Amino acid sequence: MAAKWIETITGSLDDKKQYKQYKARLEALPGKYRTAAQALDRYVIYSGGVVKADVMLKMFDDLATLFEQAAADGTPVSAIVGDDPVEFAETFLANYADGQWRNKEKQRLTDAIGEATADEN
Amino acid sequence: MGKQMTEMLKGTLEGIVLALIAGQPAYGYEITARLREQGFTEIAEGTIYALLVRIEQRGLVDVEKVPSEKGPPRKVYSLNPRGREDLDEFWRTWSFLADRIEELHTKGN
Repeated sequence: MAAKWIETITGSLDDKKQYKQYKARLEALPGKYRTAAQALDRYVIYSGGVVKADVMLKMFDDLATLFEQAAADGTPVSAIVGDDPVEFAETFLANYADGQWRNKEKQRLTDAIGEATADEN
Repeated sequence: MGKQMTEMLKGTLEGIVLALIAGQPAYGYEITARLREQGFTEIAEGTIYALLVRIEQRGLVDVEKVPSEKGPPRKVYSLNPRGREDLDEFWRTWSFLADRIEELHTKGN
């Protein structure tokens, strides 16, 4: 009961633990992979607009797995992200669109146009 | 790879990947390697990975985690019945597009 009460104030403690584990996974990557993964981490947090915690944690897990696997396979960083890192980051982010705050605005636009055109058909 | 190639591939890469695993289940790195063999040399590994995440989320593939010698377990992707339907639709769409574009090509030039 007490834990639940605390979590309503601090956010889920389990989510926090998972987030810390994810950060540790990035730290554990070898040199170049760590630099690249942390740069992508920054990008997806700042520009991704993902606000749902579960979706965000799934995204982090996928990002860490990609780099762990690539490091194990010896795939060069340039072959992971390609010529255009932003393009790659956006392709990657598109998978987590259901957690983005922009969805509210998309719905609002759809509703507004729907209302405006209601008598057209 | 030219800008046009990148743009055109965006719409077709998912179908290409589904076709590649239709014959034989594969994990991410193998799929990239098969694409490279077919001449798609500049497709980034991460792009394929992101695409695999998407087709998994859409329920088009079954995924089995297979332990690997080094690194995390590998996810092996195989096409399931929904993926098969999606691939069939991709081929129908592709044939339509290819026919129409080819007609423009022969008529226009």
